[in-house]
Formats: sequence, structure tokens, C-alpha cells
Amino acid sequence: MTADLTPDDKDAMAAEYALGLLSGDDFAQAQHLATTDRGFAQSVTNWEIRLATLTDELEPEKPNPASKKELLAKLFPNPKPTSFWERVWVWQAAGALSLLLLAVVLVIDFAGQPTATGPLYTAEIVTEAGDFRVVAVLDKSTDEVFLTRTAGAAPEGRILQVWAHGEGEPAISVGLWSEGDTIRLPLPQTIAAVEGVLTLGVSEEPPGGSLTGSPSGRVFGTIDITGVTGRI
Amino acid sequence: MTAEQRDEIEALIAQVALGNQTAFSHLYEATSGKLLAVCLRVLNERAAAEDAMQEVYVKVWSKADRYQVTGHSPMTWLITIARNTAIDRLRSRKIDRNIADYSERIAEPGPSPEQSAVAASESRRIVACLDELEADRRAAITGAYLDGKSYKDLSEQFAVPLNTMRTWLRRGLSDLRECMSR
Repeated sequence: MTADLTPDDKDAMAAEYALGLLSGDDFAQAQHLATTDRGFAQSVTNWEIRLATLTDELEPEKPNPASKKELLAKLFPNPKPTSFWERVWVWQAAGALSLLLLAVVLVIDFAGQPTATGPLYTAEIVTEAGDFRVVAVLDKSTDEVFLTRTAGAAPEGRILQVWAHGEGEPAISVGLWSEGDTIRLPLPQTIAAVEGVLTLGVSEEPPGGSLTGSPSGRVFGTIDITGVTGRI
Repeated sequence: MTAEQRDEIEALIAQVALGNQTAFSHLYEATSGKLLAVCLRVLNERAAAEDAMQEVYVKVWSKADRYQVTGHSPMTWLITIARNTAIDRLRSRKIDRNIADYSERIAEPGPSPEQSAVAASESRRIVACLDELEADRRAAITGAYLDGKSYKDLSEQFAVPLNTMRTWLRRGLSDLRECMSR
């Protein structure tokens, strides 16, 4: 189908797609190209960038303050997020058990001895599509996090970077994960001090890590670990 | 927008991708004025625009992790979501119609050199380039982008057959791209 489109035709179609002018077969073809043809997807983005400047002269309007309150209430109805375990039991009790086993194996493997001096938390970071999975074990006895990749990887020429934050805090880098299926990272002091909800995330970054102090590449996912307490 | 503002918004989006609610609140403060203006321009009605804007930020919250792979600058990403959301709402008043979903796009990790070039060199030139176009073609492009007009609407507005309208607009877009990249 696409073979009979000249580059100019393709770019025109990308513009029409960005404008939302296509319908029927043309729309279906463009939608297919947008998900399969990098060049076409890039043309669509380029058109979106060009066309967005049509809004340059629009002066900002002050939104109704109630609008923000309503939005935040809609998005964050329950200040305390559902715990990992509550979610896990619903869909994968067996999986949870294997996580726990893995956690024990990991701790023994890494620390050389079973630890019983501090709380241990397990969590899994998964993309929406499930094509990337990391099992995380947070060991508060040593303030370290163990991570194991069970699916997916950073794209060619990129590395993984691990992030964490406490509730309402900015996320900071826990460390780089350049190679290997497993890694052990000591928690930065601010993260080790977090009590309550501790959020872990993984992103893909250029070698050497993000230059901005925040994720600069795709964030694969995040997970909230609830009820985190300090060392015993 | 200054480079610092751009970097700040980019950093906020990155924090939002990690589920940081405080960053989301700051992002809203920093960008909602502009996005409301975009929604209002398309929908022409305050209550409808505020409503659309809420939907925009719900999308921003759930899709922030996709931002980096789209190759947009932070404001064009937000404006594109706002424009598409508002146009969708405008059209659903008239006719149920599917519009491009930016989130289902195949993506590169980070913007390509070409995209960075598009963002940097072309951004201020569209207005000048639009002025170079014939008035009808210019009106057709802004009508499609800001008023959500379909080829059918446009062909009626300019009293030309639909296929002629399509040829016109595509030529106008091609001229526009040529002008912006030179």
C-alpha cells in the first residue's frame, strides 16, 4: 500500500493526519503508518510542532481555581494509594508468591546471609503493555534496593536509571543500571529517610545517565511501596 | 518561552511521569493558562473549554511517561494534546469522528536531530510563512487546525469541489513546509 506513496504524498498525508482531516481508508492507512513507519510518525510530529505555533499569539487565560481542585480530586481521590499487595492478590496470587521467593533468593544471594534485622518490601515495576518488568526488593535493614529485570531491556545504546521519591517529593536518582539482569543499589540518604509511601521508577537514559537530574528518556513505570518504616 | 522555562516544564513532565503529584500541580500552574487559551480558541465557550482542559490534564498525568519518546518540545506536546482534545469535543458535538491519537505513535528514544531542527528553526516562522500563502489556503489551514474544519466543511466554505479543496490544502501545506525549512 505504502509503496505507491511518494515522499511528498506521505508528508502531505502526515500533515492531514496531524490536522485530523482524514477519514475512512485514508485514516486507517495513516493510522497504520503512524504505528509502523518511523519516518511517517516523525513527519506527523514535525507537523504537530509546526502547527502548534499557530497558537503562539493566543494570550493565556486564567482558569477558574475550582477547576484545578476538581481535577486534583478526580485524579487523586484517595491520598493513600492501594498497596502493592492489595493489587497483587486480585490478579496474581501465585505470582506474588514467586516474587517473595525471588526476594528471599536475591537477598541471600546478594547479602550472603538471610537478613532478619529490617523490614523487606517487594514490588514490581511493569509497563502498561507488560513488555518491561523489574522486580524490586527494598531492604530496610541495609537501606538498599535489589532490582531484577524479568522482561524487556533498555534500547540499544541506552542504559537504565533507577529513581525514587517520597510522597509529594521530587524524584531523585538512586543509581545507574548499565548492564546485567540484576543490580544492588544503596539508597541515597533522602530516600532512605522516607517513611510511608516510597515510589520507585525506572527509565531508559543515555550512557552515563540523565543529564537533567530527572528522567530524560522513557519512564517504563513506577510503583508505590506503602507502609515503609525505618530500620529496626 | 525562555530556555529556562522550557527546561523547567520538561523537568516537571519528567517528575509527573514518575507519579509526582506535587510536580503535577506545578505543571498545571505553569501551563494551564496557555492550554485553556487553546481550548477556548477552539471551543469558543468558557465552560466547555475548562471542561476540555481537565481532560487534557488527565491525559497529561497518564501519558507523561510517553512524552520523551514523542520528540516534541514540552509546550508543543501539551498544546497538541489540548488542541486535539478540544477538536475532538468540538466535532463530537457535530459528528462522531476519529482523530489521530498521538499516544499510539511509533517512537524513537528522544527527539531525532531532524525534529530538534524542526522545533528550533521553524517555530517562529509559521506566521511569516502563512503570510506568504494565498489567503484562501491560509484560511483553510488555520480553519482545519483551530476550528477543526473537515474537507467537507472547507469545500462548502470556499464553494469548491471536495477534491479541489484537498489538492489546494495539500499544496498549501507543502508550500508552508518549504517556506519554513528554508
